Amino acid sequence: MLEVDVYFQREEFSLQVTHHFSAPISGVFGASGSGKSTLLALIAGLLKPKQGRIRLNGKTLCDTHAGVWTPPHQRHIGLVFQDGQLLPHLSVRNNLLYGYQNISPQQRRLAPDTIVELLEIGSLLERKPAQLSGGEKQRVALGRAVLYSPELLLLDEPLSALDERLKQQILPFFLRIYDECKIPMIYVTHAMSELNFLTSQRFVVQDGKLQQEIN
Amino acid sequence: MRHTAKLFNALISCLLLLAASFTQAADIKVSAAASLTDAMTELSRIYEKSNAGVVIKTSYAGSSTLAKQIENGAPADVFISADKDWADYLEKRGLLTSESRKDLLINDLVLISPLNRAPAIQLQKNVDLLSSFSGKLCTGEPAYVPVGKYAKQALTYYGWWEAIQPRLVGTEDVRTALAFVERGECALGIVYKTDALMSKKVQVVASFPAESHVPIVYPGGLTKNANQDAHAFWQFLQSEQATQVFLRYGFGVAVNGAQ
Amino acid sequence: MLTDSEWQVLALSAQVGLWATLLCAIPGIFFGWLLARKDFFAKPVLDAVLFMPMVLPPTVPGYLLLVVFGSQGVAGQWLKNNFGIELAFNWKGAVLASAVIAFPLMVQAAKLSVQMIDRRLELAASTLGASPFKVWRTVTLPLMLPGILIGSIMVFSRSLGEFGATITFVGNIAGETRTLPLAIYSATHQIDGDAMALRLILICLALAFFSLLLSNLLTRRAERWLGVRRA
Repeated sequence: MLEVDVYFQREEFSLQVTHHFSAPISGVFGASGSGKSTLLALIAGLLKPKQGRIRLNGKTLCDTHAGVWTPPHQRHIGLVFQDGQLLPHLSVRNNLLYGYQNISPQQRRLAPDTIVELLEIGSLLERKPAQLSGGEKQRVALGRAVLYSPELLLLDEPLSALDERLKQQILPFFLRIYDECKIPMIYVTHAMSELNFLTSQRFVVQDGKLQQEIN
Repeated sequence: MRHTAKLFNALISCLLLLAASFTQAADIKVSAAASLTDAMTELSRIYEKSNAGVVIKTSYAGSSTLAKQIENGAPADVFISADKDWADYLEKRGLLTSESRKDLLINDLVLISPLNRAPAIQLQKNVDLLSSFSGKLCTGEPAYVPVGKYAKQALTYYGWWEAIQPRLVGTEDVRTALAFVERGECALGIVYKTDALMSKKVQVVASFPAESHVPIVYPGGLTKNANQDAHAFWQFLQSEQATQVFLRYGFGVAVNGAQ
Repeated sequence: MLTDSEWQVLALSAQVGLWATLLCAIPGIFFGWLLARKDFFAKPVLDAVLFMPMVLPPTVPGYLLLVVFGSQGVAGQWLKNNFGIELAFNWKGAVLASAVIAFPLMVQAAKLSVQMIDRRLELAASTLGASPFKVWRTVTLPLMLPGILIGSIMVFSRSLGEFGATITFVGNIAGETRTLPLAIYSATHQIDGDAMALRLILICLALAFFSLLLSNLLTRRAERWLGVRRA
């Protein structure tokens, strides 16, 4: 599904990842600053590797050797940020539909109503992001990314800003999304407990490298 | 003992010199109509050279601007206006002393154009001025700047005042009007003869005859608080030596002005 | 309450102000965005040039405008020959004078409003399939709106008070370039003009007060719309 072979460097930080991600949900674990967010940024196209290649479902997104570069808005990769990054001037409804409206009807594999129901955000549709709680924001962010019908969903510590109780409440939604929508995910976090719940395919970013977790 | 005495003497001498310089340093402030800029600058130099310690500070602008400034407390010792009205204005308010007031100079009004671009204009009543040139006619603001008021009289005399309105540009003083014509921004201008003489970039198209406007007279005088040095300078401006300088710039001498 | 000529002055000031604001809008937004988001070699030079009208005495830009856009100037002749537009001694020239003087205000307001936008919002939009232009149109520009509003009001207000560049470039011609500050100046020069000057000054004060009030109200509205302020 996702072949990654990249080397990235910025000042004193370096990251080397060579891996083929094929599991439905891959968990990536690492301490702060280890580079796990950088890995997602590289996959999404928000950062350029110093050298390397990224291929998704057979399409080359990036190849420094051959001079291939697909910009982020053409990669069909969804990204859920740590703090949601909901567009403050749009209602929840328009936030949800933001990516949905950027794809053609044929590319839309999921219906808004389904996702709204799945994530239980029906009562929030007319509100503005400033009026949502932390947990509500993350659910909307998840729904927004999913409605974009991406080929791959990247989640960058989506729950780290929430308290334990909320985390337990929202974690099941991720499984629900996978069960219903079958979008593969790469889930990054520094909280092992989240990965325990979600997946057995777990990796660690450490010393600038990605390693399979031995469990 | 001797050292302290020496020091004391030195200090006292310094203070005396300082005091002396204060009493001798005379500062004469002159507010003069813009058309007098060059003549007054030269005369100020001449006077300063032969009167050591005297400093003349000049301010040139439209007579209206200067009069209003003096009314509002601007410090001036000598005031020279380009028309009677503004001198009357200050005299009425006790800001220009009647004893010192004298008509100093006279001038003429001319129609000018940028050099080598003179339209053919006839100064005759009810000739169509507007079709004789294209563009704007520039002069002082007719409502309050002296040269503009004279210009309005002349334009009215020839029957052109109403028609020229949309093409008239009024400025805050005569030199600004002159500058616009020099720059070619205005096709015609009405300024004093002396201004036209000063400029190398304009030419005189026609001279307005005396009957087309009230006589252009420059009254001047001392202000209420003028000091002794200002008195002496005002006398100098009325002297034969000063008159020669004014004549050289193209001014005439007012009938009751000089000695 | 107001005489005819005073209404004329007011109307002219408003007209000049509105057009100056319109003229400043697009270039101001563009340069503000450019200074906030892009880095390039000549950036400090561009920054200095754009903000010069703020530190120069207004007669300087006024004189330069006269040289370039006057009837003998390069740009002035081009405008006249190709579009029949003349700017000297004309309300259109007054618009240009105000626009040039107030331009830094728009650039600054736009620049600040862009700097306050979290870049990650723009990144998020691009991960949702929005092209760079679409990101600019649907995310950056709407979020810049309060800043642009403030900038517009500041340009308008500055234009209402513009004197030095206006009188140097287009003179003080009643009905054509005699905006409020020039009218007050002229009134104070006339022998019995003090009463009119006072009335015009009161108008000035009222205009200044109401434009600041409006600026405040519009900004609060915009902030509420952006979700920065609770409804």
